[in-house]
Amino acid sequence: MEVMQKRTVFPVVFLRNAFLQPETSGLIMFGILFGITAFLQKNFFETKSIVRTINSCAPLVLLAMGQAVVVISGGIDLSSGAALSLFTCILTTVMKQNDPITGVYALLVTFLVALGTGMINGLGIGYLRIPPVIVTFATSYAWLGIALFLRPTPGGESVPWFRVFYNMRVVEGIPETLRVFGTYIPPALLLIIGACLLWYLVSKTRVGRYIYAVGSNIESAYVSGINTGKTQMFACLINAICIFLAALFFVGQNQTGDARMGGPLTLRSIAAVVVGGIALAGGRGSVYMAIVGALILNFVGRIIFFANIPNAYQTLVSGIIVIAAIAGPAYATLKRELH
Amino acid sequence: METLLKRAIFWRKWVVPTKYRQILTILVLIVLLYIGGGTVVPGFLSLEQVLLTLKLAAFIALFGLCQMIVIVAGGSGLDLSVGYMATLTAVLTASVMDGRNEYLWLALLIAFALGALVGLANGVLTSYLRLPPLVVTLAMADILQGIVNAYVAGKAITGRPSPILVILSARLTGVFPNILYVLIPVAFVATLVFQKTKWGQILFGVGANERTAYLCGINVRKVRCLTFVASSILASLIGLLLLGNMGIAFKDMGSNYVMPSIAAVVVGGVPLSGGGGNYLGVILGSVFLQALTNLLTALGLGDAGKWLGFGIILFAMLSIYASNRQRR
Repeated sequence: MEVMQKRTVFPVVFLRNAFLQPETSGLIMFGILFGITAFLQKNFFETKSIVRTINSCAPLVLLAMGQAVVVISGGIDLSSGAALSLFTCILTTVMKQNDPITGVYALLVTFLVALGTGMINGLGIGYLRIPPVIVTFATSYAWLGIALFLRPTPGGESVPWFRVFYNMRVVEGIPETLRVFGTYIPPALLLIIGACLLWYLVSKTRVGRYIYAVGSNIESAYVSGINTGKTQMFACLINAICIFLAALFFVGQNQTGDARMGGPLTLRSIAAVVVGGIALAGGRGSVYMAIVGALILNFVGRIIFFANIPNAYQTLVSGIIVIAAIAGPAYATLKRELH
Repeated sequence: METLLKRAIFWRKWVVPTKYRQILTILVLIVLLYIGGGTVVPGFLSLEQVLLTLKLAAFIALFGLCQMIVIVAGGSGLDLSVGYMATLTAVLTASVMDGRNEYLWLALLIAFALGALVGLANGVLTSYLRLPPLVVTLAMADILQGIVNAYVAGKAITGRPSPILVILSARLTGVFPNILYVLIPVAFVATLVFQKTKWGQILFGVGANERTAYLCGINVRKVRCLTFVASSILASLIGLLLLGNMGIAFKDMGSNYVMPSIAAVVVGGVPLSGGGGNYLGVILGSVFLQALTNLLTALGLGDAGKWLGFGIILFAMLSIYASNRQRR
């Protein structure tokens, strides 16, 4: 009887279920905001404007993807913004403006440091089993401290060719084909595609499945013979690589390092993950939806800008958006459970 | 050898009861820090320096009480909004008091109301909508900071604290800082409430075992919600004391206390899973952290060394407690 009833109202039920899926509502929200932004910003579809949009949200997108991997594995990373600042400080400290080869050293050193930060977070979350929130809270201050040692005030120098990570056209001495390629696909997009490719490859392996399994129920994952510590460590390493890519973009864009620039991005990356429909409890959601979440936050920021809200209110509005973004779905589930 | 070890463990139980072992550990750490600091930095052991450390540590300890109330109730509770709660109260009440005592009652009222409002928002979002406390209070910190920014953007922050607040938190009686006259009664009352009253039993019970508390007829959600209210009201009142200590209100006056308050609670031996701990430990943890900060500053390491040191100590303490837990 019940089955019959369901079948008769199939389209309605299907639509309602589809809407209640966090991912669909995220996509719908994205569509609406995309429309509003495109309407408000007259030259939205010009090439230059699209490139600017991509550049403005690239760091957040990369951080949100890394955050998403950690959240799916059952953790959370409060140190991602501080880690981003730390990497920019290391990059600009190792590099010397007149010595192009130092750029390569900087890349190597920072990549190793990135893996190190990921391993320390992974050690705390995965092996020592300390609550992820508090481990990464502690490490965020450690990263801030190291970054302040290297760069008490914003500054530093960078080799000229580092601009390839921001805009290939202004770099001299690179092959013409690469330059033409760079004019069509902005480097920021390439970095994001790189991160997507990394996650795509990982998600096709056993470890990708383990990450979901550990996040959704760590006890049963452990009993099933999954090395939970290793899996969470791996998630933290992927996160670190994503943050590293964001740092490359930031230094390419600004040519400087700043020990305090990343702080506000931490909460925004968590918000992007939540808006993208990834459960903070872990084990559910898609990493690619974190990109959508980051774009939504970016568009909201633009709409606020177009609405002529003074800059001083930005923090207030973004805080309210985060609360609304996580409270909305929670309220919906609560209501559904009560019924 | 083995019997010797067993005997040693047996005697240790008698010499230092388990209950006080944590506190003894911190005391030993503080003494070691002072011996080390005294040899490296001349004048580190002078009475004035020690009392100054105690004065600054008192503020960390007060914020630590906010944090402890929330953490003890369990449910992975943390309150990251305490710093900006204090800042907001200080910024808003400075112009109300404007250096006079007449309007202190109004400032207190505002502080109380603001704290209750923010705490209620935190509590409802975390315990009734079951959102992660960390994200909620972090976002709340952003909102409060946003309000401060918006308030500051329009005009300069004016006003000074009332003289009573200045006397309470900034002045010394001889060499003895007056803020300790605030901290000691607060510590006494907090310990009394935690250990001797029904409220304390309920609070620790909820943290220790949520299910059992629920089956005993305790409204777990309400208790956890109220811990956030208490934490915010306390933080708001500490904002007044901070204002008294600094003399003026400014944008970032409270935000530097968030990390130390959590670190003090962890160093003080309060388990983050809830249901245990002792406020005396938190006070000693604050003293340890403040002494460390002073030492690092004296060595010329400043902000960078402070944050790095706090991060490493918090991580190390968490690892030690985690390994203790695994061994059991």
